[in-house]
Amino acid sequence: MIAILTKYYYDILVGVGYTMLVAVIGTLVGLLIGILIGIYRTLPLPKNKFLRVLKRAGDYLLRAYIEVFRGTPMMVQAMVIFWGFALLNGGRTLNVTVSGLIIVSINTGAYMAEIVRGGIISIDKGQFEGCHAIGLTHSQTMFNVVMPQALRNILPSVTNEFIVNIKDTSVLNVIGFTELFFVAKDIVLDTFKTFETYLLAAIVYFILTFGISLLLRLVERKMDGNKNFRILGSQNLDAESFAREARSEK
Amino acid sequence: MKNNLTPDTPRAENRVQNDCRAVISVQHLGKTFGDNVVLKDIDFDVFSGDVTCIIGPSGSGKSTLLRCINLFEEPTCGKILFHGGDITQTKHPDRYRQKVGMVFQSFNLFDNLNVLSNCTLGPRKVLKMSKSDAEQLAMRNLAAVGMSAYVKAKPRQLSGGQKQRVAIARALCMSPEVLLFDEPTSALDPEMVGEVLNVMRSLAQQGLTMIIVTHEMSFAREVSTRVVFMDDGVIVEQGAPEDIFNRPSEQRTREFLARVL
Repeated sequence: MIAILTKYYYDILVGVGYTMLVAVIGTLVGLLIGILIGIYRTLPLPKNKFLRVLKRAGDYLLRAYIEVFRGTPMMVQAMVIFWGFALLNGGRTLNVTVSGLIIVSINTGAYMAEIVRGGIISIDKGQFEGCHAIGLTHSQTMFNVVMPQALRNILPSVTNEFIVNIKDTSVLNVIGFTELFFVAKDIVLDTFKTFETYLLAAIVYFILTFGISLLLRLVERKMDGNKNFRILGSQNLDAESFAREARSEK
Repeated sequence: MKNNLTPDTPRAENRVQNDCRAVISVQHLGKTFGDNVVLKDIDFDVFSGDVTCIIGPSGSGKSTLLRCINLFEEPTCGKILFHGGDITQTKHPDRYRQKVGMVFQSFNLFDNLNVLSNCTLGPRKVLKMSKSDAEQLAMRNLAAVGMSAYVKAKPRQLSGGQKQRVAIARALCMSPEVLLFDEPTSALDPEMVGEVLNVMRSLAQQGLTMIIVTHEMSFAREVSTRVVFMDDGVIVEQGAPEDIFNRPSEQRTREFLARVL
């Protein structure tokens, strides 16, 4: 195994690079898609009849997107999108890396949309009412109070998706995307050391996923902030001495 | 602060002169949830400086009435006039709510923000104040409720009484004309009830217009200028606290007071 590593370390690194490229960008873009859809789907129904119909139509379209991309294997989606594009463009295929990024992004987006929506509806109704009671609009409420809490709460699920993506980019080898699994297959063809090569691949995959898992746990802890807080000086500070306190703390 | 709340309908002309001075005037208000009639023909006025306590048994519609006044519930019928203009049809409930604040039974502090940011969010985003102005305003109001030492704390680090005092400071930061209290002490330990009531008492002394739904009868008797007794979705009786508590004219009021006093 060491021999494989020393001989093919460069190819493995390239594979890791492509795998992580697609996983990172796919997860981030997917999360962005999910946030936008989650926010749209939790919009209050407008009073205006026409807008209400429009909103409902949007809901159905997004539901269809979510159900289709959650309900079919990513490997099949990859084939359909890659070759579908080629068909529409007179046989010219899209760049494999770009295809991979698009496929993973919209596939992840379908899952993220439901994760984000779940995060938003799990926020206590009182948080919304607290905002509305001081005159905040719906968008101000979402941006300042609801989304920060919802995003914190869904972070474990986002980590899940991220890890799934690192592993599932391996299905992109069906369109010839050179990720880690593709590299491993090539090495096997070269060396015929099937077991050792795939064991090595497994170890590398695990290091990647475990690393991401630890990293996002760190982010979670960072978002939770300090458990302690300092009680400032006396019980009743006036504005000026508060400012002084705040300055001296820095 | 710019007054951009335009009444949607002209002042009701058939009202007697006196009523035009009412800050909030609830007229023939009704609310049903499906077949369930929660409020029937509610009529009462709130004048500037009034401290109106709404009392009555659980399920009598007190909280629903308060939530209607803040437009959290859409009334089924009737009107709510704010300075003479009906606000039940307004397209901008957020503008109305800048002037009519609310304090909740469950506090509803923003869990992701610390005490100071809880208080500055409204002034900054809604009133477009600068950060330093909003912070000074927040510090003044937090000092008024005795919570300025806790500016850096997150809501989950506070006790119930402390949370409620911050919630009051947050509402005060919007300089509301009227402040609504929905059972502000019902979720608190007996020990903590006092600290919140003290804050409310001092607000009453400063002349803030308040509508308070409460089960604290001695507080209602001491602080309020008007008491409204509700039962089964209707106002059974309303008047000065000494009249309601000492000489109730309705049998139902007497029965209720006998149970709770």
